[in-house]
Amino acid sequence: MEIATSQPSLVKASLSRTSLIAEIRAFYTIIWREWLHFVRYPTWVIAFIIWPILFPAVYIFSSFALAGPGGAGIPRFLQVAGTENFLGYIVVGTTVWMWANTLLWNVGFALRGEQMRGTLESNWMTPTSRFLFLVGTGPVHAATMLMFFIFTVIEFRIFFNLTFEANLLSLLIVFLAAIPALYGLGFTFASLVITAREANTFVFLVRGIVMIFCGITYPISVMPAWMQTVAQWLPPTLIIRAARAAALNRAPLSVVAPDVLLLLAHGAFWLTIGYLTFSQIERRARLKGALGQY
Amino acid sequence: MSAYAIEAEDLVKKFPRRVPPENQPSSKNPFTRLFKHPPLTEFTAVDHVSFQIQRGEIFGLLGPNGAGKSTTIRMLCTLLEPTSGFARVNGYDVVKEANLVRQSLGIVLAGERSIYWKLTGRENLEYFAALYHIPPEIARQRVNELLEYMELTNRANELVEKYSTGMRQRIVLSRALLARPPIILLDEPTLGLDPQAARRIREMILDLKNQGHTILLTTHYMEEADQLSDRIGIIDQGKIIALDTPAALKRRIHQQDVVRLEVAGWKPEMAAKIQAMEGVNQLITRSLDSDSVWELHLHTENSRAILPRLIEQVNYNGTHLVNMNIVSPSLEDVFIQLTGKALRD
Repeated sequence: MEIATSQPSLVKASLSRTSLIAEIRAFYTIIWREWLHFVRYPTWVIAFIIWPILFPAVYIFSSFALAGPGGAGIPRFLQVAGTENFLGYIVVGTTVWMWANTLLWNVGFALRGEQMRGTLESNWMTPTSRFLFLVGTGPVHAATMLMFFIFTVIEFRIFFNLTFEANLLSLLIVFLAAIPALYGLGFTFASLVITAREANTFVFLVRGIVMIFCGITYPISVMPAWMQTVAQWLPPTLIIRAARAAALNRAPLSVVAPDVLLLLAHGAFWLTIGYLTFSQIERRARLKGALGQY
Repeated sequence: MSAYAIEAEDLVKKFPRRVPPENQPSSKNPFTRLFKHPPLTEFTAVDHVSFQIQRGEIFGLLGPNGAGKSTTIRMLCTLLEPTSGFARVNGYDVVKEANLVRQSLGIVLAGERSIYWKLTGRENLEYFAALYHIPPEIARQRVNELLEYMELTNRANELVEKYSTGMRQRIVLSRALLARPPIILLDEPTLGLDPQAARRIREMILDLKNQGHTILLTTHYMEEADQLSDRIGIIDQGKIIALDTPAALKRRIHQQDVVRLEVAGWKPEMAAKIQAMEGVNQLITRSLDSDSVWELHLHTENSRAILPRLIEQVNYNGTHLVNMNIVSPSLEDVFIQLTGKALRD
């Protein structure tokens, strides 16, 4: 093999042209890639059919037992929870918790997935903004969670004859207001993934704590006072409370507005914290060489 | 436009590293020993490296595993931030103008897992074309061109997980070329490939040079560096210890003869005796396919003078000479002369 001696004309500029349009296109492509990955691992179908009914079933059968013969305990439940529909109360709580949980950890897990696959560095060597990679997996998860909700409603209607008295507009507003707070927390968690490279232990710990504090199957008023104080500061508590009001009691916007405003405030706070933390940690990872390590 | 495609000046990269247990002060308390966090020290992966790469040049960084080649490339492509020193790519500072650097570069990092195995070859390229901010109409054309150039058009719509290692590497190379970047960084591009696939990649690298790209290539294959590079920086323990054209590097040891011997029944203790012979400057030994046959690489100023004594030494006590020739110095011989060890050590 001989090295060419003639001087070719040099390549001087690349075809890469960064602009807002190019970033939007990149964002769309990240969503498209995530969707292709989702549909090409078909085990999700099983999870979507079984999990919506499997997870709440534990609590539902416990509640049947606790309600006593002929539902003797239901008046007491009405007293503390504000509704007799304990089945709907549990289903909304567990479903919203699963959604919030997915959104909360989705960013970090997506990042960890890229790190494990070995594709994180090849993505980050491109001129696309790092934050697009963080939020790019969100829309696919939102779509899949919507399917999850639909499966939940259908399955509970069939197996438990459950009906919802929902104000869909209020419910939609609650969910939209929850997204910035959950993403902000997700960015903070993603920073932890880059630093620790093994985040499962932390996830299970926090998941368990949130599960207890946020009242997914019981009103937080049954907890000790100090736990109630902590619970009030956790965004999932606000989401579950507002979603229950909208899904079970047809609560109008004016009723869920205080929780929605609090969620938006949480959103502004956690997005700022998440952004700053992630920027710092990402720079630290470039200094320590932790990006490609797993 | 900057005169150089890549400039590195006094580039240093240090990583924190745990002190190995054998170097830690031992504690008598078993609980302290069990729970004590090992102390941190600093490991210098790249140690005051400086070089300039001309536009249109293939520049090879040659060195053994762990020499600092990949760390240097990772600093140039903005995945790592230097501890000190500076580097410019296409005239842009790798720290302060990272995004402009990324726009100027096509990068192949070592390993085949940098693409999505659950996407097709075409989907991978379309995805990365969007990430490189290439307008869609140009991207479509570019993807088709590259698939054809890489002879992958017929398999473009199959999932990458069904590709051979060589095909995956061609997709990785295509990804690096998507934006038709002026500068291409190739980190061990033929690592793990079969000889035919490796030859194909090497041909493509030469073709890319002819198309006017500047290429920085890291490799620990001396033949590859020799064949492809206009200039070579030999790197060892984070330092560039020699930098010149392959021919000039080899001329450095032209006054020396390189004797290559194959010896059956070799005993490691014989190395010291040969090394001690008058006229022997360097001796490197390595086991060949079977443990009983070893290869000896010996540098001497006058092979004729030492050959009789050398043959006598190796044909002794059960060992015997299988093959012997006097060879032209290779880049590995340059490396041996500079470091006293073989590239593969």
